[in-house]
Amino acid sequence: MIGLFRKRQRPTLRAVLGRRHLSVALLAVGLAGISLTVLGVLALRVYANHNLHLIARSINYTVEAAVVFNDSSAANEALALIAATEEVADAKVFDADNALLARWQRSEDGLLVQLEQQVARSLLQEPVILPVMHQGQQVGRTELVGQGGSLMRFLLSGLAGILLCTVLSAVGALYLSRRMFGDIVGPLRSLATVAHAARRERSFEQRVPATKIAELNELGNDFNALLDELENWQNHLQSENESLAHQASHDSLTGLPNRAFFEGRLSRTLRNASKHQEHLALLFLDSDNFKDINDSHGHAAGDEVLVSVATRVRAQLRENDLVARLGGDEFAVLLAPLNSRDDALRIAEKIIASMRLPIRLAEGQSVVTSLSVGIAYYPDDGLSPADLLNAADAAMYQAKRNTRGQWQTAETERSALHVKNRS
Amino acid sequence: MTVAAPTSGRVTNRGRLLLAAWSMLFAMLAQAEPGTAASLAEQRAKAVTQVVLGILSYARWPVEPGQLRLCLVGPTEYADDLVKGTTQHSGRPVLVRRLLADDPRISNECDAVYLGQLSADERSRLFSAINGHPVLSISEANDPCTVGSVFCLRVSDRQVAFDVNLDSVARSGVRIHPSVLQLSRRRATQP
Repeated sequence: MIGLFRKRQRPTLRAVLGRRHLSVALLAVGLAGISLTVLGVLALRVYANHNLHLIARSINYTVEAAVVFNDSSAANEALALIAATEEVADAKVFDADNALLARWQRSEDGLLVQLEQQVARSLLQEPVILPVMHQGQQVGRTELVGQGGSLMRFLLSGLAGILLCTVLSAVGALYLSRRMFGDIVGPLRSLATVAHAARRERSFEQRVPATKIAELNELGNDFNALLDELENWQNHLQSENESLAHQASHDSLTGLPNRAFFEGRLSRTLRNASKHQEHLALLFLDSDNFKDINDSHGHAAGDEVLVSVATRVRAQLRENDLVARLGGDEFAVLLAPLNSRDDALRIAEKIIASMRLPIRLAEGQSVVTSLSVGIAYYPDDGLSPADLLNAADAAMYQAKRNTRGQWQTAETERSALHVKNRS
Repeated sequence: MTVAAPTSGRVTNRGRLLLAAWSMLFAMLAQAEPGTAASLAEQRAKAVTQVVLGILSYARWPVEPGQLRLCLVGPTEYADDLVKGTTQHSGRPVLVRRLLADDPRISNECDAVYLGQLSADERSRLFSAINGHPVLSISEANDPCTVGSVFCLRVSDRQVAFDVNLDSVARSGVRIHPSVLQLSRRRATQP
């Protein structure tokens, strides 16, 4: 199919415009030129015949006396006087007895003259015969054969004019079609550029500029409107996607990342840490009396407490640390990178300390909660996310069992081994 | 219609019969021997007639006569054809008659005079007689055309030419068409 289309190449807009313009111009010039020339020849023919008659008449007047007196030389002289300056090829004067009295012939010869005579013969009414009158009586006659000089010149100049006009109009048509091409194709091209950018790069902020031609301008406007809609649609979709992505990875109540997000970040961070031989700590946080608060103050109060806890925990962390709500009243904190174990302990202390201030509820009461914190170190307490989480979880339960509102480091076999090796 | 045959000789004021006889004789001669003196004379006479009639047709009198009265005066050589009488192209008849040089009718009853061979005395008398009358004078004999005649013919075998005396034209009161004057002047310059 494509091959087939390639073979029959579609003509470009420019070629089509140029061809149409050219043919219209040539047709117009041809028709006008030919009809004008034909009309001109017809009119000129009438005038040439009339002129020939006039010449014949003036010859008659001039040679009248000579004919009356049968004076051949005077007649010849008079004839030559007039005929030589006029477009006459052959002039004869006969007397009353039909005898040739005087004759004058143009002596020029050549291709052009022959052509002129041919033209004169085919177009003029020849020969012009006029009687020489004297006192109302015919005393002789004049025979005149015209020379087609002016007709010939007219025909030639007409042809030259047609040719010139043809060339001029062809040039003009090409120029105009080029201009028109610019007028039409410029806007189309910008339209195409914008459409291409919109399709390829999804850049909907480009707009088609206004143009002179009404239809193209309208097309551009419609296209721009379409782009506006597309852009809006795209923006809407983008924000929708973003909010959906956020919703998928974040907890809607506290605005903290959720478990899935936390685990993803944890495994990425662990990979990095193992690559760069870095240390990090995982803190597992659990509210000690959340169930009681829920029971005594209601779920709304519980939600408020969760939000406050989240805010306070977040406030204790460093820039790159991450806190997530794993579910219920469980939170997890990722401290990375970690320079020393004491840093993690200090942060845990700060978190626990931040809970000592009572939380003021919307209803006016205030509650105090506390957190139990389990701490697991990487790589000491586990290498995989699951191991680390388990270790931290276990440490947190250990802390809960000992004293609520305390922290506890993990005591895994690995860490025990580690501690033993160290000591 | 009177019949006058062209002759080579001088025609005197003789009887018509004699003229007729002469003309017939010469006509026969001319037919028998074309190109002889007789036929040449005939041609000359014809040419003279044509020129004279031409001149008359280009002349305008103060009062146009209903018929043109042409008077032949003195012995003429080429006027035989004229004598027969004719009409102009315009249809006006030309009345030809012969008169003696001293005839007093010339000044009043002739519109044009055709002068043959006249003595200087006769000429001057004639011209003083017609002075003040619209009479067109044409002289046939070798006339320098300086005094007297309006037109002076120059007859040759080839053609009949003529001179014009412009003073006489002005004096006569007869208007001559310029093309005739032009024709005459051109001829005068011709060798």
